[in-house]
Amino acid sequence: MKGLAPLFLGIFGTFAFSWVGLTVLPNWQIGHLNPQSDEEGTDIYPQPQSGMFERGARVYAANGCIYCHSQQVRPAYAAADIERKWGDRRSAPRDYIFERPVFLGKMRMGQDLANIGARAPAEQASPAPTGAAPPGGSPSGGTSPAASPAPQGGAPAAASPAAKQSPNPSPATQGASPGLAGSPATASSSAAAAVASSPAAPQGSSSPPAGAPPPGPKKGLASPSPAAATNATPGGTTAPSSGAQTAGPPWPIQTIGEPPMYSAAWHHVHLYSPRSINLDSNMPAYRFLYKKRRISDARSVDALQLTGSDAPPEGWEVVPTYDAKCLVAYMMALNQSHPLNEAKSAGGAPPAAASPAVSPGPAAAGSPAPAR
Amino acid sequence: MNATGIPLKEPSVSAAAGATEQLERAYIDASTRVPVLMFYTSAMAWLILGTVLAGFVSFKLHEPDLLSNISFLTWGRVRPAHMNVMVYGWASMAGMGTAIWLMARLCRTVLRYPLLLLAGACFWNLGVLLGVCGILLGDSTGYQWLEFPGYAAIILFVAYTLVVSWAVLMFRYRRGEQIYITQWYLLGAFLWFPWLYAAGQLMLFVVPVQGVLQSAVGWWYANNLLFLWFGAIALGTAYYMIPKVIGRPVYSYHLATIGFWTYALFSSWTGMQRLVDGPFPAWMITASIAAMILAMIPVATVGLNHHMTMQGYFPLMRYSPTLRFTVFGAMSYTVFSVVGLLISLRSVAGYVNFTQTSIAYSHLGLYAFFTMVIFGAMYYIVPRLVGREWRYASLIKLHFWASAYGIGLMTLMLLAGGFLQGADMENPTLSFSETVETVLPYLRGRSLAGILLTAAHFIFAYHFGLMLLGLGRTSTVPTFLNPVEAEETSGGH
Repeated sequence: MKGLAPLFLGIFGTFAFSWVGLTVLPNWQIGHLNPQSDEEGTDIYPQPQSGMFERGARVYAANGCIYCHSQQVRPAYAAADIERKWGDRRSAPRDYIFERPVFLGKMRMGQDLANIGARAPAEQASPAPTGAAPPGGSPSGGTSPAASPAPQGGAPAAASPAAKQSPNPSPATQGASPGLAGSPATASSSAAAAVASSPAAPQGSSSPPAGAPPPGPKKGLASPSPAAATNATPGGTTAPSSGAQTAGPPWPIQTIGEPPMYSAAWHHVHLYSPRSINLDSNMPAYRFLYKKRRISDARSVDALQLTGSDAPPEGWEVVPTYDAKCLVAYMMALNQSHPLNEAKSAGGAPPAAASPAVSPGPAAAGSPAPAR
Repeated sequence: MNATGIPLKEPSVSAAAGATEQLERAYIDASTRVPVLMFYTSAMAWLILGTVLAGFVSFKLHEPDLLSNISFLTWGRVRPAHMNVMVYGWASMAGMGTAIWLMARLCRTVLRYPLLLLAGACFWNLGVLLGVCGILLGDSTGYQWLEFPGYAAIILFVAYTLVVSWAVLMFRYRRGEQIYITQWYLLGAFLWFPWLYAAGQLMLFVVPVQGVLQSAVGWWYANNLLFLWFGAIALGTAYYMIPKVIGRPVYSYHLATIGFWTYALFSSWTGMQRLVDGPFPAWMITASIAAMILAMIPVATVGLNHHMTMQGYFPLMRYSPTLRFTVFGAMSYTVFSVVGLLISLRSVAGYVNFTQTSIAYSHLGLYAFFTMVIFGAMYYIVPRLVGREWRYASLIKLHFWASAYGIGLMTLMLLAGGFLQGADMENPTLSFSETVETVLPYLRGRSLAGILLTAAHFIFAYHFGLMLLGLGRTSTVPTFLNPVEAEETSGGH
C-alpha cells in the first residue's frame, strides 16, 4: 500500500461508520425516551429516584454486584427469565431511563435483580407501580388506606420489627406482620392493612408485588393481599403452603426464624451471612458493610436478626452501616412490575394505561422520591 | 524436512545488502532499547500483579468465604481490578512496547523523541495504579471494561496522547515509500484507540447517554477495544514475526489487504451481540451478529495468508520460541472468532448469554490470541534490546506449555461450564442455586488452569528478569527450544 492518505481515510472512515452506526444512531432512536403516563398525566412510570437509591447504586457499583447479578428480564419467547419469576414482562429501554449507571449485567452467578424490590413482602413492596394495582374493583384494603398514608404509628421502623416477629409460621400472617399493622382480626384484612402501612417501606405503594404471582389469578380474588403476601414470601415456612407456588420457590426454602424473604431485614441478613439463609448460596458475605457494636441501652431497631454462629455475643449487636442501608434501599426499589405499553406482560394482562380504572395515583405518585 | 536449509535467525538477505542492513537494524534496535524495555518491564510487573489478582478471583468464586471480610478484597472489587490490570496494565503496555519497536524497525529510522515515550509510560503506569487502587477502595464506575474512576482515565488519556503523537512523528520520518502490512494494523490501532477511549468516556461520563444506551456504548467499547486495539496489534505483530522468523515473504499481499479492510469494517461493528434479547432495538443486536458473521472474512483471509506463509515451515516451531508462540496466537485468532460467532447466534446466545462463556470468550481473545502473540514478540525483541540471548531453553518450553495447556483448559472449562449453566438456567424447574452448583466444578477446574498460567507467568517473569540484569547468554545464535544440530544428525530423511 502506498501513500498515507488512503490509509488514514480508511482507518477513520471504518471507525466513524461503526461509531455512528452503533452509538449515534441508537442514541437518536432511543436516547431521549420520556416516562410513560396515562391520559390524565398521572401514573407516571418510571420516576427518577434520589437520595438513598443513588447512593445505593454507587455501593452496588463499588462492590461489583454487577459481575454476578444482571438486571434485565428477557422476553418469554427467548428465555426462561419470566418462568423463573424474575419479572412478569420483559425489560424495555424505558425501564432504565433514569438509571446511571445502568446495571444490565452480563453474568448470572446470582439471581436477576431487575424486580427484586417487587418481590418483597407486600408491606414493603416498593416503588411506585401504582398502575399495577389490580384493575377494577380493587379491594378496599388495597388502595384506600394507602391514599391516606401512615395510619399506623412507628412508621419508619416498621420494616425491621415486622421482620423480627416473623417466626410465626403462618404464611398469611407472616407476610402481614400482624403485630404492627394494628392487628385486624382476619388474616386477609390484616394483610390489607399491611399494605396500608406501606409508608414504612421505602415508598408508599398500593400494589401487591407483581413480580411473584402471575397477574391472572390475582385479579379474580376479592382480596388479593393474602395470596400476594404468601407469594412474595415464597415458602413462608419450610413447606410452602400456598397453592399458588407451582414452579418451586425461586430461592430455596426459607427456614423458620428468618425475616420474610426479600424484605429489607432479609436482605441485611443475606448480605451479612448468605449461607445462613441458603446453604447453597455462592455469594460472598459483605460483613464490611456492617458494624458489630455493644448494645448501649436498648437493642437498635436496625440490628440484624442473626442466629447460630453468626449471632454476636451477648450484649452485642450487628447493625448495618449507612452504605448497607442504602444498598438495601436501592434493591428494594428495583421494580419493573409497572406495565409498559411496549412490553406486554406474560400473563396477557392488559397494561394499566389501557384500563380506565386506574387507582388515583395515591401516595406513590405524589412522592417520587423514596420516603426513607 | 531438512533443517539445514532453514534460516533460523534472520531472513536471508543478499550478501551485499547484508552488512549495512544488519548494522542499520542494530542501530535502530539500540535506539528503542530504553523506551521499549520500560514498557515491557512495567507490563511484566502488571502481569504478575494481575495474575495474583486472578488467583483471588478464581478461587473466591467457588470459595466465597475466602478473605471476604476485607472490603478491598471482596470478589466484586478484585475481579474488575484483575481485569483492568490485565487489560490496561499488562496487555496495553506490552502491546505498545511491541508496537513501538515494530514501528521503529518498519519505518527504518532510529527512534526519535524517546522522552515522549518515557513520559507516556510513566503516566500510563500512574493511571493504571491510581485506577486499580480506586477500584479496590470502592471507587469503580460500575461500567464493565471502563471501571477506572475519572481521575485515572484522564491520566491514561494524557499518557496515550504522548505515545500516539510519538507514533505519528515517527511516521513522518520513515524511510521508503512502501508501508508494510504490520504498519497498517499498528497505525490503525494507534488511531482507533484514542477515538474509542474518548468516545467511551464522553458518552458514559461527560455527556452520558440515556439508560440502556450506556450498556450499548460499554459493549461497543469493550468489543472494539478487543478487536481494534488488541486484535490489531496482535495481527500486525504476527504479520511481522511469522515471515521474519521463517525468512519468507508473506504469501499474498492482496489477501492481506482484503483481510485488513474487512477486519476494520466488520469487527468494529460488533459488540451488541453480547446483549442478545436485552432491552434494545432488535436491529442493533442483529447488526452486530451480522458483523460477527462477516468478520469471518478477515479471519479466513488472514488465517489463509498465515497458513500459506508457514506452509512447509511448520517444523520450525520445534526450534523458534517466537514462532511457536506466534503461531499458537494466530491460530487462536481463528478459534476466538469462531467461538465468538457461535455464542452470538441468537439461538445459542439465549442459553449462554449470562454464563461463564463470555469469560471464556474474553480470555480466548486477550490471552490465547493477543497475549501469546505478544509473548512470542517479546522472545524475539528482548534479546535484541539487551544484547543477550535467553538463558534457558527449558524455561521457555515450560512457559509455553504451561500457558498453552493453561489457557486451553481454562477455555474448555468455562465454555463447558457455561453451556451447562445456561441450559440449567433455561430449565425453570431447577432452582437457581442448582444452576450455580452445576458450574462450580468447572470453576474449580478453571482454578487449576489458573495455577498453570500462574506458573507460566512467574517462569517468564524470572527469565525476563535475568535478561534485564544482563544474565542472558552471550552468543550470536538465538536460543532454540531444541538443539538444531542433534536434529540434523538424527532426522536426515
